[in-house]
Amino acid sequence: MIPILGLVAGVLLGLLLDPTVPLWLQPYLPIAVVAALDAVFGGFRARLDGIFDAKVFTISFVSNVVVAALIVFLGDQLGVGAQLSTAVVVVLGIRIFGNAAAIRRHVFRA
Amino acid sequence: MTARPPGGGPRSLGASLLDDVLAETLDPAYAEAAEARTARGPATGGRRRRGAVLVALTMVVAGVLAAVTYDQAAARAQGRQEIRAALVDDIRTESDASDELAAELEELRAEVTRARDELLANSTTGQQALDELAAAEAGAAALPVEGPGLLVTLANAGSDADDDPVGGDDEGDIRGRVRDGDLQLVVNALWAAGAEAISINGQRLGPTSAIRFAGEAVLVDFRPVTNPYEVSAIGDPETLSSGFLSSPEVGSLALIEETYGLRFDFSREEQLTLPAASTPELRAAQPVPAEPDVPPSDPATGD
Repeated sequence: MIPILGLVAGVLLGLLLDPTVPLWLQPYLPIAVVAALDAVFGGFRARLDGIFDAKVFTISFVSNVVVAALIVFLGDQLGVGAQLSTAVVVVLGIRIFGNAAAIRRHVFRA
Repeated sequence: MTARPPGGGPRSLGASLLDDVLAETLDPAYAEAAEARTARGPATGGRRRRGAVLVALTMVVAGVLAAVTYDQAAARAQGRQEIRAALVDDIRTESDASDELAAELEELRAEVTRARDELLANSTTGQQALDELAAAEAGAAALPVEGPGLLVTLANAGSDADDDPVGGDDEGDIRGRVRDGDLQLVVNALWAAGAEAISINGQRLGPTSAIRFAGEAVLVDFRPVTNPYEVSAIGDPETLSSGFLSSPEVGSLALIEETYGLRFDFSREEQLTLPAASTPELRAAQPVPAEPDVPPSDPATGD
């Protein structure tokens, strides 16, 4: 319950405050969101599996976001930004789907 | 080797990277923490509260991130829309300006022609030049023409009754389509029968006009014309029709019509109006020799 409330509060806060993102950060926001999504799905699945741990969740969230943004930034510097971004999105997408399937198995027993 | 997460382990030991990625979607740290927790005992109140606060904070950050990214994406899409609308407006304005300039060009050209005719009519060499010019312009199809004549229509073969109207090719048999050769036959026959001016679907034929077949379209002077093809010829209807019908080209056309089903009609017309052909480029100019009693005239060449 608390996490959902936290998520909703965060969304409202973001829409209300409308912070201006610095220009150099803007290209990495979408990747950061996908990485955050992966961490959230992982946390939810761990919760359903019964092995949820707050510390692991927080650390996985932060490290996912930072590492994903870092990889894309490195790719941009090396000139393979688009390809690396695609690779990161593909891997994160696979993980999200895997976790979503496990969640579905738990929720629907199907 | 990391501990196997309860959701399912890797499909095969020592498997490829892709297998690992596909199978181990849950961070193995969760399983390790769970094992550590069972060894330590369940969390006490303080630890639990701290854990809950951490989770809540993290979700708040996730929410803010999502909201900000969405805002940014929406703003960018709107920006693109505005830019596109501005560009479309620019294109419209410039098109209008270009149309105005073209109209102005026509007016100026007419004015120049008037002035030239007035000036040249004052002297005999000038008048001679004007007459030559008129004859040349008639031959080059640079002026619109009106008069009685002949209208020949060529059309692709109609689709057969058993052609599939929905999925089938509504163009029919490829041999039933009018080709450039057929149009050339008609036009040659008309010229030979004494036509003074010919146009196809509103495209006037000049001395250098070509009738070509490119891909699936017939091009007259590099402009496409479509089925059905109306060939208008201005001349004396009687001599035109008798000359046209007795020409050998029309004989072969009639044969083609019978064999492939092309539609071939002609009719005499009382009044046909043919537009001027597109103006050719000005390639050479030379001054008219000066007369003693008149100042040297402007170069009198085709426009």
